[in-house]
Amino acid sequence: MASEAGEGSTAGMDDYETLISTTDVELLKKAWRNEKAAPEILRFETSLIQRIRGQIQLMEENIEEFAGSGIDPLTVSLYQMDLDRTQYLFRSYLRIRLQKIEKYMFHISKNPEVQSRLSEQEKGFARRCADDMERHLEESVLSKLPDNYQDTVKQSIISEESDMIPEPQLDSFVVCKSRRFLGPFQLDGSDELLEMKPDELCIIHYKSIRERVQEGDIDLV
Amino acid sequence: MYGRKACQLVKELASGEKGQLTPYNSDLFDQVIAECSQHHLELQSLIRKMQEEGLDVQTTRNADHYGALIHHLSLVRNKRCLMAYMYNRAEIIRSLIWKVGPVLPQQIQEKLSHTEEEYFKKHSGALQSYMSRLDLDLTVDMVPPKDPYIQVRVLDDIGVVLSDDKTTNFARHSMHFLKRTDAEQFISRGLMEELTS
Amino acid sequence: MAGQSDPQLSLFSAEEVEFIAEDEMVEIVPNLRMDALNFVCGDFGPFFPQLATQVPLWLAVALKKRGKCTIRPPQWMTVEKLTQVLEAERDSQRVFEQLPFHYVEISRLLFDHARDDIPDVYMVRSLIEDIRDVRFHKVETNLESLNERAFALKINNLSAMEVNIVRPFVGRALQAFYKHDSPDLIPDQDRVSDRRPQVANNATRRHLRR
Repeated sequence: MASEAGEGSTAGMDDYETLISTTDVELLKKAWRNEKAAPEILRFETSLIQRIRGQIQLMEENIEEFAGSGIDPLTVSLYQMDLDRTQYLFRSYLRIRLQKIEKYMFHISKNPEVQSRLSEQEKGFARRCADDMERHLEESVLSKLPDNYQDTVKQSIISEESDMIPEPQLDSFVVCKSRRFLGPFQLDGSDELLEMKPDELCIIHYKSIRERVQEGDIDLV
Repeated sequence: MYGRKACQLVKELASGEKGQLTPYNSDLFDQVIAECSQHHLELQSLIRKMQEEGLDVQTTRNADHYGALIHHLSLVRNKRCLMAYMYNRAEIIRSLIWKVGPVLPQQIQEKLSHTEEEYFKKHSGALQSYMSRLDLDLTVDMVPPKDPYIQVRVLDDIGVVLSDDKTTNFARHSMHFLKRTDAEQFISRGLMEELTS
Repeated sequence: MAGQSDPQLSLFSAEEVEFIAEDEMVEIVPNLRMDALNFVCGDFGPFFPQLATQVPLWLAVALKKRGKCTIRPPQWMTVEKLTQVLEAERDSQRVFEQLPFHYVEISRLLFDHARDDIPDVYMVRSLIEDIRDVRFHKVETNLESLNERAFALKINNLSAMEVNIVRPFVGRALQAFYKHDSPDLIPDQDRVSDRRPQVANNATRRHLRR
């Protein structure tokens, strides 16, 4: 834990340590936790996921080789456990994202900025999700309603905007931990300033810190 | 009272156990749809009446206007309830893909409407195509992994067992270190117990 | 989605919290010679008999279960240190003592799998249980006095499990205050810059003085 006196140098140390010791698995774990805790879908970690897949494949091959080359079963089983852990994180990360895409499919299909956060495969999935859901709602509800009331995302023809789209609640509160010293920054919707020391825990409006989460200064826990 | 049936429909949804489907209530659903059509007829006739009286429908604020407004609002409310009913059921239906796989057991299928069955197949297809594009099965590794090996004590003489091309003698009271999956068949039959320190 | 925690209730399931805690580093003393392990999650070893080395908890437990090492309990897991922590927890109504974020999970895993490596294990165990209870109680009382709008609430030194307990309630409560409070409420500058680590922050103190 960082002491109060050494804040400046600690931040520097953190960077240095990050540089030399952060493994892709640690980055994946962080991405997984953030994705789990954030109300909205975050930017897909394209290169990280690519690297992790490569490492998983390599390790799968290694383990197969070990088994054939007389390496003791203990060592092999430990490698297998390590692989299982990474596989779980990897798949769970992708599943959480699918879950969010399903939940906010209409919001995503109307919003290019959110789409840009998805992987190519996720974009395809999101499109099909929204199409299938739209068709289902049309067939089971909307086609049976009077004209002027048949829109999927508007209550009626006189609604000025789409008023029936489930959206992520950006003003919900999240628990977060800062990675480094963060000088006073303004909280969304208020004049209040907040300062965070390394490792400080805080419950806060997600929208006040969303950029910092994406930049990696703050972790959601 | 307007909107009561639609409200019942939503209440049915809310009173169900979380994540569990209640049988699709086509009776009540159709009644709400019929109510919507009725509202629409009344709404139209009120507007027609205003037009016949030579009134400006946009600006006039008489009894007929407010009557029409009430029908409109009731219709919108019914629509929202119907949509919520379908939408929330669809959410549960999607979660079933993860719980029971791409083929629904009979007792669940009975609770779905025809379009819901179709939706289940379609969505299951969407998920399948996502996974095949990634060449990755996401339906495994659903929970954090545990050590694949466990320590067991043999409770009753089992004798010599062949597994993974080696033989082990599971004598009574002997202790072994086994694959969880291999040990489970003995544990469930009461022949072994798992040891924690 | 099956097998995953419901985001509406608690974000991380007990299994998931344990999974995260299993990556915490501990010191082991191996009793075998084994080459370095070049895992996806990092490199560990090489291992030599009687030579202490650092490994993640899941690996330590796996080796321990196979009779290949002893685990050195972390420094905070001694009777002396825990007694101090417990006294301090009892002395203060609001401040939480510094313990590892995953102290509950780490200690449970060690009690389950490495009991014989912990000196005074019964004493240590009951101290940790007492600390847990005192802290839970403190969390509860502090929650009761949460009564005001805040944009941010510092909850320093709460552990993973305590955060999991507090999260759903406090999140919703703050959101409710936020919605119901008049938007032109005069902002209170020192509410968020309060340095005291505590659940209910200044709001509590103001309330108590009233």
